[in-house]
Amino acid sequence: MKKLFVFVFSVFVLSGFSSSAQCNAETLSTQCIPKLASGFNFLKTYKVEKAGKEYVEYSYVFTKGTQYMINICAPDQNADGIIVTLEDSDRKKVASSKVDDQYISAIAYPCNKTGIYYIRYTFDDEASYCGGSALGFKR
Amino acid sequence: MRILIAGLLLALVMACSSPNKSEDQAFADALANTELEGQVISGEVNDILHRIPSPLEISVLLKETGRKYDAAFLNSPDNLSRYNTNYKRALNLGIYGTDLGYTNIYEQSQDGIKYMATIKDLANDLNIGQFFEMETIARLVSNSNNLDSLLLITTQNFNTINHYLQTQNRSHLSVLFLTGGWLEALHITLEVAKANPGNMQLQETIGGQKIILENILHLLSFYKDSDANMAMLLGELERLQQSFDNVTITTIYQPSSFEVIDGVMVVKDNSSSTVVITESDIENIRTMTRNIRAKIIS
Repeated sequence: MKKLFVFVFSVFVLSGFSSSAQCNAETLSTQCIPKLASGFNFLKTYKVEKAGKEYVEYSYVFTKGTQYMINICAPDQNADGIIVTLEDSDRKKVASSKVDDQYISAIAYPCNKTGIYYIRYTFDDEASYCGGSALGFKR
Repeated sequence: MRILIAGLLLALVMACSSPNKSEDQAFADALANTELEGQVISGEVNDILHRIPSPLEISVLLKETGRKYDAAFLNSPDNLSRYNTNYKRALNLGIYGTDLGYTNIYEQSQDGIKYMATIKDLANDLNIGQFFEMETIARLVSNSNNLDSLLLITTQNFNTINHYLQTQNRSHLSVLFLTGGWLEALHITLEVAKANPGNMQLQETIGGQKIILENILHLLSFYKDSDANMAMLLGELERLQQSFDNVTITTIYQPSSFEVIDGVMVVKDNSSSTVVITESDIENIRTMTRNIRAKIIS
C-alpha cells in the first residue's frame, strides 16, 4: 500500500513537473522581443502553445503607413513546424511563414491597408509544439 | 435550527440594506457578476482587447509630422486628486498612459517622471501598483539613450497589467483603461491635425479610428446592463461614432508578394485602403472628443 501511494504520488508530481517544463510559452515570447529587428518598437507578445488545438490565433488592428514585424521563437532556437499566417479582415491571406518547405522565423509587413488582421499560428504535424512570438512596429 | 435560519435571514437583510457599500464595491460587484455570467463574454472581451493598437503608434506618427512637443494637449498630473472612483481611476490611468508614451517619444524626461509618478499613484489605488518599478523607470527616463528600454518596459508593464486584470476577473478595468488611452491618443491627434491642416496622414489616421471605435463600443456593450457608468460611457461614444458616419474606408485586396532578406520574409503589400474624411467631419469628431474627454478628466 505504501509503495502504491509513493508510486502514485511520484507519477502525479513528476507529471506536473514535466508538463510545466514542456512549455513555457510566456518565457519564450519574452525572449522573442529582443529578436525584433533594429528600429522596431515592441507592441505585444503572444504565447504559441499547441496544447491539443489546431491553431492559436490573435488579432490586431494594423495601420496603413506602418511596418509591422512578427517573429517566432522556440525552445531549441528552431521554430520549424510552427507557421505564422497573416490574414486581413476578410480572411484573405497576406503572408505565410512557410515557403517551399522552409520555415521563416520572422515576417516584416509594411501595411498599406488599415484594418483588423488575424495572426494565426498553425503546426505542421502532431508534435507538441511550444513557442512564443512578438509583434513590433516602426514608421 | 430556527435561530440559525433567523440569523442567516437577518444577515441577508442587513447585507442587502447596508448603506456603507461603497460605489467602488458596487461597481466591482456588478461587473464581477457580469464576468461570471459567461466565460464566453470574457474570452471575447480578451480577444478584442488584444487587437486595439497601442497609442504609442500614434505618438510616433505625431513626432513624424514634425510637430513639436506640446504639454498643453495632455491631462495635467495635477488633476490626479480628482479621481476618487475606480471607474475614473481606470479611465485616467489609460489617459495618463498615453500621455506618458507621448512624453517618452518626445524625450521629455522631466514630464515623463511626473506622469510616471501619477500613474504609479493611480495604479496603487487600483491595486496594481506592484507592476511599476519606479527606480528602474526613473533611471531610464533620466537618460535619452535609454529610450528603447523605456518604451519596452512601459509597454511590457501595461501589457502585464492588462493580462493580470483579465486573470483576476477585472477585465472591465482593462476595458476602461484601454478606452481612456485610445480617447487620449485620438484627442492629441485631433489637436495636432488642427495645427497641421491638410496633413493627409493625420486625416487618414483620424478616419481610421472608426474601425477601432467600433471595437471599443463592442467591448463596452458587454457591461452596459451591469454598470451605469459604463452604460453612460457607451452612450457618449455612440454619439462620437455618429460623427464618424460620413467617414468611408474603402479597401482593395490584391495578393501580396514577398522576398526573403537575411532570414526575414519581407512582404510587399499590394492591397490598399483609402479613407475619405472631410475637414467638417474632423471638426465634429474633435468637438465630440473634447466634450467626452473633459468629463473624464474633470
